[in-house]
Amino acid sequence: MNFALKVGVSALAMAIASSAAYADDAFWKEAAKPYQDVTLHGVTESSPPSIYIREVLAPQFEELTGIRVDIETTSWDQMFDKAIKDMEAGTGIYDLVYIEQDIIYSYLARDFLADTTKLLADSPKLKAPTYSEDNFTTFANYFRGENGDLYGIPMEAFIKIYLYRTDLFNDAEIKAAFKEQTGRDLVPATTHAEYAEIAQFFTKWGEDHDMDLWGTTAQAHTGHPASWYEFFETIAPTFGVYNWGIDADNNFAASVANGGTMNSDDAKEAMKWWLSMRDIAPPESNASTWTEVGTTFGAGRVAQGLVYGENAGWIAADETKSLVVGNVGVALPPLQDGIMDEVEGGTGYIGYYDGGAFGIPSTSKSQEAAMLFLQYIGQDEVQPDWAVAAPRVTNKSTYDDPKVQAMNEELGGYYDLLRDKGYLFAGAPAYPFHAQVREATAPILYQILTGDLGPEEGLDQMAAKAEAELTDLGYRK
Amino acid sequence: MQSNKLGWILLAPTLVILFFFGVLPFLYVVFVSFHQWNPFAASPEMIFNGAENFRRIVFDDAFLSSLGVTVAFVVFAVLSELIIGYLLAQAFMKEFPGKSIFRTIHTLPLIMAPIIVGSVWKLMTTPSIGIIPHYLDEWFGITMNIGTSAPAAFLTIVIMDIWHWTPLVTLTLIAALVSLPRDPFEQAQIDGANKAQTFWHITLPMITPALVATIFIRLMDALRTVDEVWMLTGGGPGSSTRFLGVHIFKEVFPKTNYGYGSTISVIVLYLTIVVCWLLYVSMLAPRKNRKG
Repeated sequence: MNFALKVGVSALAMAIASSAAYADDAFWKEAAKPYQDVTLHGVTESSPPSIYIREVLAPQFEELTGIRVDIETTSWDQMFDKAIKDMEAGTGIYDLVYIEQDIIYSYLARDFLADTTKLLADSPKLKAPTYSEDNFTTFANYFRGENGDLYGIPMEAFIKIYLYRTDLFNDAEIKAAFKEQTGRDLVPATTHAEYAEIAQFFTKWGEDHDMDLWGTTAQAHTGHPASWYEFFETIAPTFGVYNWGIDADNNFAASVANGGTMNSDDAKEAMKWWLSMRDIAPPESNASTWTEVGTTFGAGRVAQGLVYGENAGWIAADETKSLVVGNVGVALPPLQDGIMDEVEGGTGYIGYYDGGAFGIPSTSKSQEAAMLFLQYIGQDEVQPDWAVAAPRVTNKSTYDDPKVQAMNEELGGYYDLLRDKGYLFAGAPAYPFHAQVREATAPILYQILTGDLGPEEGLDQMAAKAEAELTDLGYRK
Repeated sequence: MQSNKLGWILLAPTLVILFFFGVLPFLYVVFVSFHQWNPFAASPEMIFNGAENFRRIVFDDAFLSSLGVTVAFVVFAVLSELIIGYLLAQAFMKEFPGKSIFRTIHTLPLIMAPIIVGSVWKLMTTPSIGIIPHYLDEWFGITMNIGTSAPAAFLTIVIMDIWHWTPLVTLTLIAALVSLPRDPFEQAQIDGANKAQTFWHITLPMITPALVATIFIRLMDALRTVDEVWMLTGGGPGSSTRFLGVHIFKEVFPKTNYGYGSTISVIVLYLTIVVCWLLYVSMLAPRKNRKG
């Protein structure tokens, strides 16, 4: 079912069910009385979960409360640009801003966001009976400040997973050929060596059978930060290089010489492995961001890959966009020996826990009305339809809903993986200088990808550049 | 006196808008360019640092590399647009079947927003999906990958710019050619001048003002190109298409380096003025002096 249809069906279903499902309508109507002239303005990324808010949740909220909510969905860059300028200049245009997990620490450092826990504590009349911070999964902890209060209401959460084609992995001829060539069964890889072996096998299989088929995806754009993210948030952790190789407890050291790991032997091994995978990935990989990686997988051009969970939904279930519906399996990313034990022991993580929340800018002139809306979208009651329309889970109870369980089947067990193994993944490190260090070092990564710099020399330069940038920014003394 | 007053009254709304939306922001950018200011630095406040940003820019490899590729882009793109635009303008001065249809189609790219142009060209050039790499491979055995080949990415951007903006040059030059008096051309024909001589000694001098105006417009546009390049290559592969506009964008928006980014903007504006002034002095001033 395509996304537009799902949104439509969800809207209809929720409209019909609304009178029965929301026994607390009276609360919303009463709480909203002082804000009848208010129009809330929000800005967010144009993604399926955000479009669902704009098309379904905002109109429902308006109908229930009389408070109008205008949600502006735009590109990733524009969204940040607009939100940051508004909060920096204090113009108060926006009452709701999307907070991607990786930028929350920059926002908190600048006191850009209102404390939602405090807001509700200070105004008990605003507290909806159906809203509780306890309802959220642990992903909500990424949006807490040092005082433990919540500064953003989670609205989407995904993990970047290992996606593979079940039709190819279960094909008798392919399985036999793989067994003959490698001496082992064709099953999803658990180590980098196994993953590489499968990737090489399928790329060759595609060549030999004149198929548009390759062995792996690679999010390796040579001019877009997507490649930087793939390396530092997906590949490097599986080799034991965490937090981008920067040691926040050691004067933000990045280089091995100063105590960091950005140019460590593990990081260099990770880079070489990733480049070797990129070399046998489809030709478009050098121009691929997260979007194109999803498109490549959905077009049936790869046998396996590391794909953002937000794309896994449509790849596995949307027949209007994907050619591999019903043929997708999910697994944990391949790891170096010892990494899983390390992570289970509480050190590090095996991949990226991505997502975002909606927050209220400190400069908003309608914080109380905005808080009502955030509670509305944070209720357990609205989650299942939202999760089906745009695969994302932020509330614990969502997993148990029958509709979500049915969706889980379609997604090859993705929700089970998110619930049971989500703790092994982590969001971006708590750095207030996220985009600054990324942009300073990304041009060097692009040179590594184009072959203008070797992986070892390139990582040495990146570590030095990161430290220089952190010194310029005043974090590194 | 009365007409002066009326003139100022009529101009006032424009001047007020220009002051608030043009002059004031410009002065603010100049002010910021003398400061160290990154709202996500350990010290997020604006700190006056004199001419430090201007000193830094001279030794900034990324800026100098960006300047180099921008100059190369401007030279290749604008020169090509002028030559092709002039040839098309001359062609449109003649009658031929389907002329009006061809002229309409030829003008269509002009109405497209640069970001759309970038998207369309991205679709056409993405390796293994785009129509251009597909047919280059099928017909000529040429592998085109703008994600790995810097020359391919640069050339694609130049061609995209030519495709997008040549119609503007054609239209302005058609207007200039149409307005030329016939007498000098008839006289040259009687005197036995050939086509090259007629072009060099009559057409070119007479259309020079329109030509210079067109060059100014295209030069300024090309120097600040962002949207198409951002969409097509993001400045890559590596930094091979990181033109000044893209460089400033990355410095100011993702890096939020407002102080240094403003300095680069001021320098780019200064360079644009200098280049346009040099062009004016070399092409138009001698004509004025001759007339004077």
